[in-house]
Amino acid sequence: MISNVISLLIAIPLLGAVVSFFAGTKAKFVALIASLIPLALSLQMYMEFDKTSKLMQFVESYDWVPSLGVKYTVGVDGIGFPLVLLSTIVSVLVIIYSWGETKKPNQYFALLLLNEVGVLGVFTSLDFFLFYIFWEIVLIPMFFLIGSWGGPRKDYAAIKFFIYTHVASLVMLLAIFALYFTYQTPEGTRTFDMLTLLAATADKTIFPTGLLNIIFAGLLLGFLVKMPAFPFHTWLPDAHVEAPTAGSVVLAALLLKMGGYGLFRVIMPMLPSVDKAFVTIIAVIAVISIVYGAFMALAQKDIKKLVAYSSVSHMGFVTLGAVAFTWMSVTGAMFQQFSHGIITCVLFMSAGTIQHVVGTRVIADLGGLADRMPKFAVLMMAGFMASLGLPGMSGFVAEFMVLTGSYATLPSYTMFVVFLSVAITAAYHLWAMQKAMFGPILKKYMNVHEPHAYELFSMAMIIVLSLIFGIQPGLITDIMGTAATQVMEPVITLTQMGVI
Amino acid sequence: MEFSHYAPLWGEALLTFLAVLVVLLGSLMKNSGKLMGYLSAAGLVVALGLVASNLTIKPALFFFDTISVDALSQFFKVVFLVVSLLVVIASLSRYTGKGAEEYYALLLFATVGMMVVSSSIDIVTLFVGFELASLSTYAMAAFDKSKKNLEAAMKYFIFGSVASAFMLFGLSLLYGMTGSTHLADIAAASLANFGPATLVALLFVIVGFGFKMALVPFHMWAPDTYEGAPPLVSALLAAGSKKMGFVAAFRVIIIALVALRMEWYMAFAILATVTMTLGNLAACWQNNVRRILAYSSIAQAGYIAIAFVVVGAAYGAAPVNVLNLGLVPADQLGIAGALLLILGHALMKTGAFIGTAQVSSMVSKGSETDPDDISNYAGLAKRAPITAFCMLIFMFALAGIPPTAGYIGKFVLFSSAIYSGLVWLAVIAILNSALSLVYYLRIISYMYLKEPAGPKMAEQKGYVVALVLTLLAVVWIGVFPDAFINWAMQAAAVLLPQ
Repeated sequence: MISNVISLLIAIPLLGAVVSFFAGTKAKFVALIASLIPLALSLQMYMEFDKTSKLMQFVESYDWVPSLGVKYTVGVDGIGFPLVLLSTIVSVLVIIYSWGETKKPNQYFALLLLNEVGVLGVFTSLDFFLFYIFWEIVLIPMFFLIGSWGGPRKDYAAIKFFIYTHVASLVMLLAIFALYFTYQTPEGTRTFDMLTLLAATADKTIFPTGLLNIIFAGLLLGFLVKMPAFPFHTWLPDAHVEAPTAGSVVLAALLLKMGGYGLFRVIMPMLPSVDKAFVTIIAVIAVISIVYGAFMALAQKDIKKLVAYSSVSHMGFVTLGAVAFTWMSVTGAMFQQFSHGIITCVLFMSAGTIQHVVGTRVIADLGGLADRMPKFAVLMMAGFMASLGLPGMSGFVAEFMVLTGSYATLPSYTMFVVFLSVAITAAYHLWAMQKAMFGPILKKYMNVHEPHAYELFSMAMIIVLSLIFGIQPGLITDIMGTAATQVMEPVITLTQMGVI
Repeated sequence: MEFSHYAPLWGEALLTFLAVLVVLLGSLMKNSGKLMGYLSAAGLVVALGLVASNLTIKPALFFFDTISVDALSQFFKVVFLVVSLLVVIASLSRYTGKGAEEYYALLLFATVGMMVVSSSIDIVTLFVGFELASLSTYAMAAFDKSKKNLEAAMKYFIFGSVASAFMLFGLSLLYGMTGSTHLADIAAASLANFGPATLVALLFVIVGFGFKMALVPFHMWAPDTYEGAPPLVSALLAAGSKKMGFVAAFRVIIIALVALRMEWYMAFAILATVTMTLGNLAACWQNNVRRILAYSSIAQAGYIAIAFVVVGAAYGAAPVNVLNLGLVPADQLGIAGALLLILGHALMKTGAFIGTAQVSSMVSKGSETDPDDISNYAGLAKRAPITAFCMLIFMFALAGIPPTAGYIGKFVLFSSAIYSGLVWLAVIAILNSALSLVYYLRIISYMYLKEPAGPKMAEQKGYVVALVLTLLAVVWIGVFPDAFINWAMQAAAVLLPQ
């Protein structure tokens, strides 16, 4: 066992980012190594991870700013660890996918690694101050990825992304400060320790319901904007459409998961203590996100925008599963985070590959590409099937668990989702696929050829992962199941909470 | 009295001597500009060392109790010396030719003036120090002798003189009522007995200091001056001489006029709110980078003014458990927060103005357009990567994004507002910080996202050294703030009854 493994996990990509910035055209090799080491470390952690323990594991804690009560505390449990694994996997694959990047490659790979640093930090921080710093660090590489390598409206998209999510983070920061200034440890000191503060929110004498409602709303806003959930999703399509492919992949696969992670880590422990109306509000937001996202996807002309809206829809399942508050739905929601994280990579990679091979992403202008790029078509098809929920792949397991679990406590919401979104989801995936890839090949695309091997390799790896976790979800849901039990420990069901 | 008795003032003595020496040597030797620059830098480093050796000194009084060397004065002296040193280092690439020795001499005199102000506990000494610093900087503001310089210097001079007149009139009323020029004596006299006259005195003092600190509505001179003065002088004005207004206001208002705190509490609550909001809003509409920085500096003055509100609200309140510092009165925390913000802001603004100086010195050769226009920053990341990167960090730091020096002052200051029951003020301040990101991000997006406005430029050595040093300091304070917080707490205690 390696000591300080989480600090290494964060430090190596950071070092890699600095080195690749100065490495010129060799940057991609540096980036690959600097992302493979964290992957190896996280796999090693997976081997050592105690799947039955509800405690934080691999914990490190040092004083950082004692006069403010800020500590450098990191650790993982069943909520954070699967996302750490996801981050290290996706970072490697996205670097491989970007192997052919020629525009300022040193900065490009440095930013991708910096992104990895940020998300790993978010998923492992156990101190709100540290958490907030990493939460903000993530914005910076994404701002530059969109702004420097993006499409025609990149400036607008980059600034909208930054301002929108930064304002939401500030609201979250205000809520964190409210927690910090309200709670005093028995020794009379202040602390930013996440677990201590969250445990204290259950105490009505410290946090009266009125105050806690405001704090809760602030935190919730921060996380829902990041997810993003309707009606806070408007930054996402712009950011995705303008972002370079790797930026989109990282954005959808990792950055959105930060919002979901916040739901499990911060929102759910507080849920039993706040006003019951919040459950309804969150459930309504979840259902609208799922259904609205699906309908919007159906209406898109640009295949990348379609995929972006499908993210809104799929992330709605995470919200629904979390708020339904059954063991099955919470485990399913956590798994949906992981599953969507890998599947969405292949969708955005497909959209990106089509863009640079064919030169357009407008679905109506495409047709018959499978004829010229059969290998790519197979992988893209598999990705779209995984996304629409084909049994045998991870997406199916996750969404099935969420819906089954939610039906027990929120039956009418669940039925609404099932009736309105399942068919539509299948429809937009199949329609886009059919229109873009199949049918007779258009004359102008006769010279189109297969994409590079490294692009196909990254996509294939993701399909394999989706299959593995679709057939054997226990590999990761065992960990999530323990986490779900732990999250629901104080109050077991919504009935006990008095919601239904 | 032996020589060593004055050890805490050797820094001021050295710089005064050096300033005279620079003028003399400069007029005797030809082409000595560069040498005088190095001499000034060396003198500032030594003075910094002398001040640093007495950082948390017990208050020591000199010259018939008019000068007090204490933790507060040392804090500000470090700020002034660091700012001057950074400006001198950058100036080594700019002021080397004929007449440069005058520039360095003026800068040293201005520094001495600021140091005297930070130690003054007597209104006459305070005023003399103020004028020494002001007169030197008036001349510096016109140093390049361009039309814009002259306009800026003229405005600065007129507004500065009016401000001094207001201040002096208010202070003379105080002297008339209490019969003393000593701050502690004024505080001890029962000012309330003098009826409306005290309010008139207070009004004049606040207006006078309001000009010096550039609080809205007394801020009009700042954007014009910072835009028009030579950019390196703007750095000294925004980061150094404006902070002098704060230390003077701290001493006069918090020590001498403490009896009137209910009156100035209200005044500063309004001034702080209006200043930060209008400063930030106005900055969003500017196209000249130096004007953006000027308005951002006005907004920062608004944040710093929160300290007065906190002191007014919490003066004499029982210590509470604040942050993790143990039992501390909220007013001490507020002043400490303002000091940290002053330290951080001085560094960030020096850096940012040196950055604009670097850009305008590279752009202006053969260009007819305004060198500070934001269009000249397009693609700066490619044209001048080091400058652009330093500016990037300064912008994030000014917006208060951790872990940089910008957030720590805001954190401590805003939390003191919460502890003294001014949650509304803290919320307004935080929302203002969010708003400020709009214009900082605009500069960043020009530097990093736009296509370059021209070919790669040669970054000059002096500027680069100054920028990198500032950058290191900004990051260092942000990452290891603990020592600075404790130091600011000690400095803040000087202003409050023990």
